[in-house]
Amino acid sequence: MKSWRLLAPYLLLLPAFIVLAAVVVVPLLLSLYSSFTPFRLTRPDSIWTFIGLRNYERLFTDWEFWVAFGRTVLLLTVALNLEMVLGLGLAVLVEKATRGQRLLRTIMMFPMMFSPVLVGFQFKFMFNDNIGLINNALQGLGLTDRAIPWLIDGTLAFIAILTAEIWSSTAVFAIFILAGLMAMPKEPVEAARVDGCTPWQTFRYVTWPYLMPFAFIAMTIRSLDIARAYDIVKIMTDGGPAKRTEILWTLIARTGYSDARMGLANAMAYIAILLSIVFTAMFFRQLAKARAQIAAEW
Amino acid sequence: MNRLLFSASAGALAMALGAAPALAQELPGSFDGVTIDAKLIGGQQYEALYARIAEWEEATGAKVNVISKKNHFELDKEIKSDIATGSIGWCVGSNHSSFAPQYPGIYTDLVALLPQSEIDAFVPANISASTLDGRLVMLPRAQFDVSALYYQKSLYEDDEKKAEFKEKYGYDLVPPDTWQEVADQAAFFANPPDFYGTQYAGKEEAINGRFYEMLVAEGGEYLDADGRPAFNSEAGQRALQWFVDLYEAKAVPAGTTNYLWDDLGQGFASGTVAINLDWPGWAGFFNDPQSSKVAGDVGVKVQPKGSSGKRTGWSGHHGFSVTESCADKEAAASLVWWLTNEDSQKLEAAAGPLPTRTAVWEWVVAEAEGDAYRQEVLTAFQQAAEHAFPVPQTASWIEISNAVYPELQAAILGDKSAEQALNDAAEKATEILEDAGEL
Amino acid sequence: MDRNAAHRMKRGLFKATHLILLFLAMAIICLPGLWIVLSSLRPTVEIMAKPPVWIPREISLDAYVAMFSGVGQGGIPVIEYFRNSLVISVTSTVIALAVGMAGGYAFARYRFAFKSSIFLGFMLTRTVPGIALSLPLFFVYARLGIIDTHFGLILAYVALNVPFTIWLIDGFFRQVPKDLAEAAQIDGCTRWQAFWQVEFPLARPGIASAGIFAFLISWNEFALASQLTRSTSSKTLPVGLLDYTAEFTIDWRGMCALAVVMIIPALTLTFIVQKHLVSGLTSGAVKG
Repeated sequence: MKSWRLLAPYLLLLPAFIVLAAVVVVPLLLSLYSSFTPFRLTRPDSIWTFIGLRNYERLFTDWEFWVAFGRTVLLLTVALNLEMVLGLGLAVLVEKATRGQRLLRTIMMFPMMFSPVLVGFQFKFMFNDNIGLINNALQGLGLTDRAIPWLIDGTLAFIAILTAEIWSSTAVFAIFILAGLMAMPKEPVEAARVDGCTPWQTFRYVTWPYLMPFAFIAMTIRSLDIARAYDIVKIMTDGGPAKRTEILWTLIARTGYSDARMGLANAMAYIAILLSIVFTAMFFRQLAKARAQIAAEW
Repeated sequence: MNRLLFSASAGALAMALGAAPALAQELPGSFDGVTIDAKLIGGQQYEALYARIAEWEEATGAKVNVISKKNHFELDKEIKSDIATGSIGWCVGSNHSSFAPQYPGIYTDLVALLPQSEIDAFVPANISASTLDGRLVMLPRAQFDVSALYYQKSLYEDDEKKAEFKEKYGYDLVPPDTWQEVADQAAFFANPPDFYGTQYAGKEEAINGRFYEMLVAEGGEYLDADGRPAFNSEAGQRALQWFVDLYEAKAVPAGTTNYLWDDLGQGFASGTVAINLDWPGWAGFFNDPQSSKVAGDVGVKVQPKGSSGKRTGWSGHHGFSVTESCADKEAAASLVWWLTNEDSQKLEAAAGPLPTRTAVWEWVVAEAEGDAYRQEVLTAFQQAAEHAFPVPQTASWIEISNAVYPELQAAILGDKSAEQALNDAAEKATEILEDAGEL
Repeated sequence: MDRNAAHRMKRGLFKATHLILLFLAMAIICLPGLWIVLSSLRPTVEIMAKPPVWIPREISLDAYVAMFSGVGQGGIPVIEYFRNSLVISVTSTVIALAVGMAGGYAFARYRFAFKSSIFLGFMLTRTVPGIALSLPLFFVYARLGIIDTHFGLILAYVALNVPFTIWLIDGFFRQVPKDLAEAAQIDGCTRWQAFWQVEFPLARPGIASAGIFAFLISWNEFALASQLTRSTSSKTLPVGLLDYTAEFTIDWRGMCALAVVMIIPALTLTFIVQKHLVSGLTSGAVKG
């Protein structure tokens, strides 16, 4: 009985260990090794040439790589924060609705059901400067008489990609925050109102701290899943034009498959993984803090 | 007898046997009990042909096992993954002339497996574009691509416009025959944001290919005789400047540097572009009232010349290859032949794509009798095909493209001068070739 | 105007603003999606028109008819793709839930060495971008001979979803009071029985919410599927979308029609379980 209690958790976790080892850890070790080789897909023998840190050295001095790196961080930060704000707004709106909740919640999750490939195409067509819906609508309403080059200008293209990304993923935040709103005890809000707090103060000091853990969970999940954005960016601009929208994943995919330089691509991927780990660890700490705060207050 | 020997023999013996012309006389032959694993390009445009595989199976007694069907770029990824992991256990693969040089050595020489008379029945230019280092690595199917000029006919029939143009440029307004005329007319017709003179593919291999053909038309070369990048010559600058000038004159849509083929086709079909250099695959789409606003108003003409007097003509074609590691090359070659024989090509060409067999060209032209548009299209593309040339035959072509196109875009968007962009691009291309051991 | 009326007006105004904002938000969410649905019903000449045609003049099911009309007549093997997608998504979701329940239960109910490191380790496996994983994974799969099989993709998706299901379900089990299960055990249930009869029913909403996330992720996944599937015997719907693209052309209307076919099961499922979803996430998140 005693030994069972000691072994039980490990036995229960065993399936997860096996699956993750087979599908993630072993392949990752392989790709870690290949990042120390000049491995080219079209020359399988090259995997046996060991070149140490050369790929990494090359990347550390590669300005274009770091620009892409910086842009990825920027995209992540802006996208995640905007999604959180918009998701919060959406959740509040839905929560306040007195009728049709079931339908509203389903609609809210509607964008999550589209394959990112399709989202990419749809937004590419919408932002097309000549026949796209957005420019046609703006011109039709008389707001502009120019063809706005949405996917060409670096800033505008960033906005266009951000729009597609936000459209497809805000639902994740909304659903978590909605869950938080619905679970929230009513008494503290009532108490705050009785004490004469304005709605904004009530929200800021009572509701929001309670919602924080939900927001951070959503944030963590999204930052884990952010590579989803790859499909969208790949189709909308593929990093172009003139590398104005290059992000890590488009760069890695092109280097690895199209250029067939898998060794170099894997070195880039490892730097990208470090980035994700930093983001994830950060959110985990925030989450723990927010949870501790709630636990203390309620 | 040959069959027995064949299946038992290694590659070297197969080559020796294949050299005997008696071998493959009775195509498609008989291959009872043989199974051929095949990787075929997928997508509606390409799949009608595969219905004919059943007939081949019936005629030969062999089975075909389609182990993969994907679009072209995905298939390229897959074949590279196969090479990398040493898992080329299959026999027949779809191939493309622009991608073929990347897979050195995995495909066998078909000359050894098929009678010369069958190979001679193809258009010679297509055969030479399928031959790498003296080996015929693929047999072309009826999916040949070269670009010709589509234009809106009505624009050239307006007397007022004609007079205005003549006064401004000093020559008559007729469908252009040189790229300089295209530039003039594009600037003349353009009325942004409602209407544009022309457009071009602006990213990935597409812009590099367009630049490459313009470079050739300007008298330059992409790689010199030693295989060194030579596109940063004066001809190269003139070629790139053509794209830059159009962009600056706002004669092309501002988004053109993000356009790929689908955007271009949809753009011309929307009736907002006057002149459009494009592929034969769109001919039907442009003239179909269900899909295109310019239906009935589409003219097609052979592609214009550059300042050297040479016409552009970047081309490519799809085909089928047999792997070197295939256990039954003879059966595989028979399948490849079957999918590219006259009946197969007629089947594909009847739906619009261009054939690669001389006899089928004659057949489609005869079939088009009474359909003026189709005839115009075929005449234009038949001329276009005469000037066609494939991409430089280096294994690093796609990689070079990926390095060069952002530089071309930078020049078009005004981030860099044409000269600067080309020098930077040449430097990167040289580095790639050195890394690959080709220089 | 007396105070009451002013108050009523203020409330009415507030309500109206709320309705307008809600409507706007829903419109923004729905429009791109509805545009896709609409595009599948209209001739291409209207979709890509300039000036745009806002109100469809012609509606037809041509794209759907073409899709099902067989390979070679503009069709794609949609039935096979659909079957593959369904088999792979459902199986992998069920397995991911089972593994997640085991793991979640372990984290919620036991103390053991390296607990939090193991937990973080599980989460971090999700940070690996698919693109870095796809080739080495292909390498391993090629050696094992499970390329282009349902099994291969199911395995990959289980791995993709397990960290997430463990996390959500763990939080949920924590919220079920330990006393309940212990009471049941005192009443003569085995631990196994106690789990199924007491803890599992209470945790059901959490499991439902983890399930729908896992299902949606598997249903739409593209990067790994495009690498690990090859023929119609295992290609899934997102990979099938690319059948509508040729080297130079793209059939956007056809893609949209296929997208609609893809959305219907996802939408139905979400509608059915969304009630559990919200309450499920609730407890899962806070107590985790």
